[in-house]
Amino acid sequence: MTVMAPYRSTVEPEARDGFGRLLLAEWTKLRTVPRWMLTLLASVVLMVLVALLSAAGSESTGQGGGSSDPARLQKIDLGHYTYQPLAGDGEIIARVTAQRGGGAWAKAGLMIRGSVERATPYAALMVTPGHGVRLQTGYENGGAGGGTAKAPRWLKLTRSGTAVTGYESPDGRAWQRVGSVRLDKLPENAMAGMFVAVPDEVEVQRQFGGESVSGNPADTGARFDQVSVSPAQPGAAWRDRGAPGGPAADPGVDGRTGSDGTFTLKGTGDIGPNEFADDSTKTTLTGVLIGQAAIVALAVLMVTAEYRRGMLRTTLAASPRRGRLLAAKAIVAGLAALAAGLVASFGSMLLAAPMQRSNGLEPPPLMDGTVLRAVLGTAALLAVIAVFSVAVAVIVRRSAPAITIVLLLLLVPQIIATGLPLSVARWLDRLTPAAGFAIQETVTRFDQAIVPWAGFGVLCAYALAALAAAYWLLRRRDA
Amino acid sequence: MTAVCALRAEWTKLRTLPSTWWMLAAIAGLTLAVGAAVTGSVDTSHCSTPAGCMEDTPKLALSGVQLGQVAAVVLGVLAVGGEYAAGTIGATLAAIPRRSTVLAAKAAVVAAVVAVAGTAGVLASLAVARGLLPGNGFTSANGYPPLSLADGPTARAAFGTVLYLVLVALLALGVGTAVREQAAAITAVLALLWIVPIITRLIASAKWEDRLDKIAPMPAGLAVQATRGLERLPIGPWNGLGVLAAYAAVALLAGGALFTLRDP
Repeated sequence: MTVMAPYRSTVEPEARDGFGRLLLAEWTKLRTVPRWMLTLLASVVLMVLVALLSAAGSESTGQGGGSSDPARLQKIDLGHYTYQPLAGDGEIIARVTAQRGGGAWAKAGLMIRGSVERATPYAALMVTPGHGVRLQTGYENGGAGGGTAKAPRWLKLTRSGTAVTGYESPDGRAWQRVGSVRLDKLPENAMAGMFVAVPDEVEVQRQFGGESVSGNPADTGARFDQVSVSPAQPGAAWRDRGAPGGPAADPGVDGRTGSDGTFTLKGTGDIGPNEFADDSTKTTLTGVLIGQAAIVALAVLMVTAEYRRGMLRTTLAASPRRGRLLAAKAIVAGLAALAAGLVASFGSMLLAAPMQRSNGLEPPPLMDGTVLRAVLGTAALLAVIAVFSVAVAVIVRRSAPAITIVLLLLLVPQIIATGLPLSVARWLDRLTPAAGFAIQETVTRFDQAIVPWAGFGVLCAYALAALAAAYWLLRRRDA
Repeated sequence: MTAVCALRAEWTKLRTLPSTWWMLAAIAGLTLAVGAAVTGSVDTSHCSTPAGCMEDTPKLALSGVQLGQVAAVVLGVLAVGGEYAAGTIGATLAAIPRRSTVLAAKAAVVAAVVAVAGTAGVLASLAVARGLLPGNGFTSANGYPPLSLADGPTARAAFGTVLYLVLVALLALGVGTAVREQAAAITAVLALLWIVPIITRLIASAKWEDRLDKIAPMPAGLAVQATRGLERLPIGPWNGLGVLAAYAAVALLAGGALFTLRDP
């Protein structure tokens, strides 16, 4: 009776097929085909060319410099603001007795800010008809708070150092904290007051097979009473912030009336992000739509070329574990695409900046968080697309259908969407792999289909599902 | 006689490949499915008045061809690229040494099958849209008569769309012959078709958009689908299709020249 000894490879450990060696082998295969390296280069060149093209066409359409063009403004700071000086720490209390017009996001409430200059830091506590009581700061959507409270409502905004805290109450006695924000640059002598603001009405008009979306100014009004600022400044008068850059606006829609401690404020325009702003970062990086074609072709060929020439049998003889082979190919394709994407997206931003400047536009700041997310995200996007292409190529095994399928899934939703109603187009941008391009957005626009990271997640989910299918088929099938 | 033999040979080769039938089904199926989906999703709710919508209903019904053409591209490239990939091009040329005859036979066979599949897709799209449109507010009372081939512009849009598909397939055949590598040819043709629609989205200038739409194969070729607001088009319907035909002719000539000059 003999005992079978388990098989032990006699090959030296360092010569066995470690995963590192597998990666090296895949990289060598990629590196030594001159056409493939040229393809990688082509994708970078295409992306940068599109960026330069769009920068050259990005002339400022506003008169007297780019800043007067509404689409160039990232922040809107309108509405009506009636204020008194507030020296040091203190608080302002008022009751919003009635609110009229403007829809669910009409805003009426209290605001503390350091300057009446447009787009400067502020903290605003407001009551809205449809979204409760909220404490808003900065120029991004949302804000702390919520609920269903409506006018009439008591509001209190207190300043203590750089912290501004908002409270609300149904009766002026039992206060409930809404939230707190820090305004780091708030000067000692700030201002406190009442404001009304309202977002533009988004109007969609369909004609000649296309949709045009425009924002129509809405107007709103609110009545305040029981207003008190403490510490009270003897003899301080209420002042109004004038209409932006000119004479006072139409008194019918903008202004303050009232007496005996009752104020009626009317205003138009919002305080917050400009939902109609141009996303210049995204425009500069749109070349990825064209550059990706080369990346997709390259990643597919890394797999299908081996199938076609029977090379895959050699590869599998050298490295029989198929999951590891798939992982190695996906990693090498992904890293190559990532490297190309980093060069292309940083190159696009850096080379387009001087052209944008000479056209009177301020190029997006590269070190800003959202801009950096878009730039790095573009490279990551290409990497995920490459991994997805590798997986589809393993599933399909032939280059022609694999390239077609991947490009169809990534490109066509965006092209077809242009002729569709906005509501339908949004679903295409949410459910297809094209959702991944949302990572390039730096402005929360009215037509945003999906938030950047969620969109990127959708693409990653497609890539993972394709990888799982590819792994299963690769193990099951003969090469 | 050779010509007939070449045609028969090409027809047999094309007919006996499963991928051909998949692609033909995809041309008709994608055209119909996308056309029906787009038509079903558009209604008059966002128009100032239903009549003020100025919706080009035949064009809407035929919008699925934007996706269906991709199958025509793949079919055109595979018709010649498949032979290079499998190596049968050597046998083909041994049987019929005149290369222009081979390419002409391939072009004729591809054009014929794409025309049949395209006609099926276009007619089915129009029929489905005819049923869907009144339910979305595009009724005769609102100035949108039911789709009918008896209407001159609609018939031109339908016929032109079939021709569009044929020309796209021939363009792909020409590029496939010139490039010989399937992956490269498909990527190149898809990029050629889609690149300008993508770039015009980036360029804010209407002047440049018009210029690009005049010379780019897909926007110019699809002008043939327009039935109203013709004066707003950057290029006339037939002229636009002519632009695409010029692209296809150049691709076929270049492919033919390289085919004749090169060893397989």
